[in-house]
Amino acid sequence: MITYKNISLQVHRQTLLENTSLQIGPGDKVVIRGASGSGKSSLLKCAVGALPMAGGSVRVDGTELSAKTASDIRSRIAFIGQEPVLGAESVRDALLLPFTFKAHHGMVPTEEKIFQHLKRLHLSMDILDKPCTRISGGEKQRIAILRALLLNKTIFIADEVTSALDPESRTAVMEELFQPGITLLSVSHDPEWINACERVVEISNHQLMEVER
Amino acid sequence: MTTDLSITAMLSMYALMVIPLLIFFYLQLGIIRETVMAMARMTVQLILVGLYLKYIFQLNNPFVSLLWVTVMLVVANLSILNKAGLKRSLFFWRSLIAVAGSTLFASGWFILVAIRPEPIYDARYMVPIVGMILGNCLRSNVLSLERFYSGIRKNENEYMTYLMLGATLREATRPYLRDALKAAINPSIATMGTMGIVSLPGMMTGQILGGAMPTTAIKYQIGIMICIFTAMVVAALVNILLSLPVAFDDHQRLRQGIFCNKP
Repeated sequence: MITYKNISLQVHRQTLLENTSLQIGPGDKVVIRGASGSGKSSLLKCAVGALPMAGGSVRVDGTELSAKTASDIRSRIAFIGQEPVLGAESVRDALLLPFTFKAHHGMVPTEEKIFQHLKRLHLSMDILDKPCTRISGGEKQRIAILRALLLNKTIFIADEVTSALDPESRTAVMEELFQPGITLLSVSHDPEWINACERVVEISNHQLMEVER
Repeated sequence: MTTDLSITAMLSMYALMVIPLLIFFYLQLGIIRETVMAMARMTVQLILVGLYLKYIFQLNNPFVSLLWVTVMLVVANLSILNKAGLKRSLFFWRSLIAVAGSTLFASGWFILVAIRPEPIYDARYMVPIVGMILGNCLRSNVLSLERFYSGIRKNENEYMTYLMLGATLREATRPYLRDALKAAINPSIATMGTMGIVSLPGMMTGQILGGAMPTTAIKYQIGIMICIFTAMVVAALVNILLSLPVAFDDHQRLRQGIFCNKP
């Protein structure tokens, strides 16, 4: 569950959101819409403490985001950006990167589990040994999603994650992320993605407005 | 004793500078003024230091020597932060602790454990040895701090990705720390590896010119190189580690206000 309470957001001294709230329940699939530069991506970033808020608070599963809880909250949420950074030389190293951190020690996934996820996301096995610089944008997006799935996260924040995907891959990604147990907060311009979301929230006049469907 | 250089000899040395200045002029590098200013500063600074050191050596008072060492440390520290593009007001004390701590530790090790001069605070040993170690620490700290923070600044998405994947501040900054330390230390490893073949190092050359036996001079050179290397590594690492609480906010985001220049 993610709760934004009376939040205000300013980026480069420009007000994006002002004293507005949003509650995302467990299992909800929410998509944020709005004009370019209205604060969609910034809203996602402040849920994981990647962007400071000018006011208000964010709670994730009842824990308020603060200096003490930021690491814990980040380890509960899978954040996938528009241009995902894999942060390692090879795809295999990128997938195993989070397991080198103390927070995920001893949770290294089996090869079999990795293969299953690769298959479900329409990725071939040989991609594991490829350098991250040699794979396409769409493959990068799917590897970033796969990495989050390997961490068994249930809250996903996804910023335009299907922008570089072909229709087949997009369907595969949506099948993974639109499962009942997953809470999804996203930004997307993809009509199919927007249709699949139960809730559409629009940023208008610095406010988060639920769109009737 | 080393043969003194006459005024004519010194003028002939300055005359040599015409060659690089002509090259700069021909290639229109726009650094002639900067070079001449640097030359002038070097000359004035060395004349003043020469005169000052003469009196320090004559006095041989530990407090005066320590005062001079303090001045050297403060100036080096200011220069490190300036060249690394970091705000002096935020990092001065932390950087000073790192640089002074490692320099004094390595100098103390060389003087107290290896040389053991009589008296132990002999300014002829203390001031030049601290100077040599500090000069190298200055270079390594400029490189490491600059590389570390510019690395995170340029790859902020990557850095934030590490945090999002559950990394702590130390874990998320480790790749940049590794790069920074390598950048700071690699030139010294290359220098050590070719020492004696490609270059005859300063301390050894100075001692030989001063009349010491080459076999004695190499022992001093090996000793000082190990102390320099140790101080450089420790100072570069400690300086970065001590800077972290100031450079990042309580959500581990890099503070943009720590830099002297805008991105």
